[in-house]
Amino acid sequence: MSSRMTASGAPPLIELRDVSKTFASGILGRDRKVALEPFSFTMDVDRPGIIAVVGESGSGKTTLARLLLGLVEPTGGEVLFKGCDLRRLSAADRRDFRHTVQAIFQDPYEVYNPFYRVDHVLTTPVRKFRLAHSKAAARELIEQALQAVGLQPEEILGRYPHQLSGGQRQRIMVARALLLRPRLIVADEPVSMVDASLRATILGSLRKLHEAMGISILYITHDLATAYQVADTILVLYRASVVEAGDVELVVKDPRHPYTQLLIGSIPKVSTIRDWAEEQPATPAPVTGPGCKFADRCPVRLPVCMEQRPPLYRTAPRRAAACVRLNSDPVLAASDFSRLLSPGPRAPRVPAELEPVMVVNASGGEATPS
Amino acid sequence: MSAAVLRVDRLRVAYAHERGVVRAVDEVSFELRPGERLGLAGESGSGKSTMALAVLRMIKPPGRIEGGEVWLDNVALSGLSDAAIRRLRLAGIAMVPQGSMNSLNPVVRIRDQIADALADHGSLPPRGALTEQIHALLAQVGLPPDVARKYPHELSGGMKQRACIAIAICLRPKVIIADEPTSALDVVVQRQVMQTLGQVQKALGAAVILIGHDLGLMAQFVDRLGIMYAGRLVEMAPIRDMITAPRHPYTRMLIDSLPSLDARGTLRGIPGLAPLLRELPSGCAFHPRCPMAVERCRSDKPAVREVALEATVACHLA
Amino acid sequence: MLRYLRRNPSLTVGLILLGLLVAFMVAGAFVVDAENAQPLSVPALQPPSWDYPFGTDRQGRDLLAVMVTGTPLTLRIGFIAGIIGVGIGAVLGFTAAYYRGVVDTVIRSIADIGLTVPGLLILIIIAVSLKGSLTVNQMAIVVASLAWLSPTRTIRSQVLTLRERGYVEIARLNGMNGPEIIFGELMPNLLPYLAATLVSSVSAAILASIGLEVLGLGPVEAPTLGMTLYWVFFNAAIINGWWWWWTAPLVVIIMVFLGLFFLTVGLDEVANPRLRQLA
Repeated sequence: MSSRMTASGAPPLIELRDVSKTFASGILGRDRKVALEPFSFTMDVDRPGIIAVVGESGSGKTTLARLLLGLVEPTGGEVLFKGCDLRRLSAADRRDFRHTVQAIFQDPYEVYNPFYRVDHVLTTPVRKFRLAHSKAAARELIEQALQAVGLQPEEILGRYPHQLSGGQRQRIMVARALLLRPRLIVADEPVSMVDASLRATILGSLRKLHEAMGISILYITHDLATAYQVADTILVLYRASVVEAGDVELVVKDPRHPYTQLLIGSIPKVSTIRDWAEEQPATPAPVTGPGCKFADRCPVRLPVCMEQRPPLYRTAPRRAAACVRLNSDPVLAASDFSRLLSPGPRAPRVPAELEPVMVVNASGGEATPS
Repeated sequence: MSAAVLRVDRLRVAYAHERGVVRAVDEVSFELRPGERLGLAGESGSGKSTMALAVLRMIKPPGRIEGGEVWLDNVALSGLSDAAIRRLRLAGIAMVPQGSMNSLNPVVRIRDQIADALADHGSLPPRGALTEQIHALLAQVGLPPDVARKYPHELSGGMKQRACIAIAICLRPKVIIADEPTSALDVVVQRQVMQTLGQVQKALGAAVILIGHDLGLMAQFVDRLGIMYAGRLVEMAPIRDMITAPRHPYTRMLIDSLPSLDARGTLRGIPGLAPLLRELPSGCAFHPRCPMAVERCRSDKPAVREVALEATVACHLA
Repeated sequence: MLRYLRRNPSLTVGLILLGLLVAFMVAGAFVVDAENAQPLSVPALQPPSWDYPFGTDRQGRDLLAVMVTGTPLTLRIGFIAGIIGVGIGAVLGFTAAYYRGVVDTVIRSIADIGLTVPGLLILIIIAVSLKGSLTVNQMAIVVASLAWLSPTRTIRSQVLTLRERGYVEIARLNGMNGPEIIFGELMPNLLPYLAATLVSSVSAAILASIGLEVLGLGPVEAPTLGMTLYWVFFNAAIINGWWWWWTAPLVVIIMVFLGLFFLTVGLDEVANPRLRQLA
């Protein structure tokens, strides 16, 4: 079975081939919970972009992240790194994988071992991946990474996690992910546990780093507003399936799937005061039949929705949605799905040095380098 | 003004710390009219949750109420005995605390949790009337009657939160304090829960204090909004005015930092960090992060001034 | 440190009790002649007096000398067995919990089966089958053979909760492998718990050894606490009214167990900050 090749002839960086995940629990594994329906996706290194994966809890977005990172094995299908299944990587390939794909997690408290100072989380990858030849070189590398995310090394290094704020801890995690110059960062709700005023700062630095270093980012969140600001393309998940995908401007300004419409309509906006509609349709019990998963809550459901699960229909060159009302449009071919999520032709700069993209002065004011 | 159902006057809450006294709530004053919706917004460490606890006299040592007064319907709360204050909680002022849906007792059915609340206040009706009352309460929050005999883990997040609201209103309080009631819920459920809270409040004629950090949520729900920073109430105004013409630089930057759904490319944060309460800057606590700070801001702490009808600001430049 | 001791009364009491015992052993070593702990050294069956503060027993042993030389022997058995038990238990517990799967099932099943069989019975069978008389160190090994079962189980469950923590996943992303994560990330966080387990393991080992000795299955020539009690029963000292013979070892045994018990409770509080009293 040959893997898909990119234009350059090399196997794609990451490929998810019909990957699905089901959790079995209960006696003899009787209760099955589908966390992710079969999902195929390819990520190329020569076209880096920021893809947002949006969904509520239980939608499968965190499962997708953990499958991509190799922290959990798929029940069906394969996750391939440079053409090779993650479960069968040699030790050297595994290290290459960890070097290429990194992560930022949601909780800035849990990710630190309380026994060690925060330096530990930065010195370990430098040591394990041999990023520096001497202690001095390692220290300089770490200081550069911290400055690139807007932190002062003197205020951070040597401290214990409980001595720093949640925002500082999360920024250190971004610095850690950067140290390895990965090609892909999977960010799972990186700012949801951080104060609102700091969210924009952290997301802004993620975006600038993408532009400066050509790193692809998979931004997983339940917050559509930040997804709209940060990402180029968006993927909307509902109960383990993709319901809508495509260019972020199109999807957010003109949502086609009823769930996306409900999601956007429910977001409390500051710009218009008191426009939440007063009526709300009652929520009947969920149905687990073969039909569309959103059918039980859908305000525009048709009888056929209870029987058939609609495929993704391509309503425009750069977007698709899975609703039977769109069946006048062509069905999206599986091979085109990944292209739908790629950002379009873009020439990323990959400079040798890490440029500081944002520095916070000692007085607290912000300055961008010229 | 005797028309106010709740009046807070220069409330101060302090904690004894190794290195001195930390003021979590610093001279906060405001009034709440019957049926009014007031929002208290702020980031972590701003003192908003401590404020709520202080109103209910639930501050535990090493914290204590240092000064100021709280009146409920013109009755000063500091003069009440412990027993009287306990009677007041839930019956006069009810609180839906943060993460309350996770503090429902997991081994007690919902109807028994409501009954417990009623019994604690000596308002437990005889058996038949109790069932009716519980069903009526659940209907008020939009829950079907069969929820009564369920355990918390059998309910979804939104249903659990609505059950908590039902417990909070079972004694028909005059004031409901909701502390981050929807922070763990997704956006669609959040809207349902907030609408439920609004309906319930209107039916009871109760006033609501909504504590949170989501300004968008505030804009959709409250009549007046107060912004807290480092323990002080730095601005309070009717919501429409606050959003369209904020006076305090912190409020302005907070609103600017919200990601909009209208146009891309507008990611702006507030630089610097919120100060540690035990290491407050001199003068105005916000001055290190304020782009408009002048010399006076460093030396003098700005007092809370009334600048328009029902609008107060604590800033030298406003 | 001193401030913490004031807030943790159990730890303080435990340390004081054990400290007194240690002082007794050390000071006593200077005062008594170890030879007098052997039979036929001094006049038999003397009640306590200035010459013989603890009295003497029927075989002519100076009971003060017996206590001074015997207590460290008993404690030594306990420590050796306890350390071996927790050492093996930690290795097996960490391995089972971190790697899960078949390894976990095997280790867990062996430990579970072992725990259901009455331990004293096994020890008796082992002690009886060993030819000849035991030395103190051999005694320790006998007790250690079963001492690892319980620590394996408890350490395993502690590690099971820790391995789900976020910092373990970050360690994996940082390129650390299994053993590195076990020793580098998990073990440091379990040190207080391991210390508490060690103390309770030592306590259990001492109890087991005294049990075996009282039945006559211990090192017969050594003047350990348990063996002394064996001679007490063998010679019907209680009925004969030689109260000083059984009082001394009893008091020492009670002090040992109380001291270890309070130490365990105190260390438990260190390991589990939620138990700490508010200042």
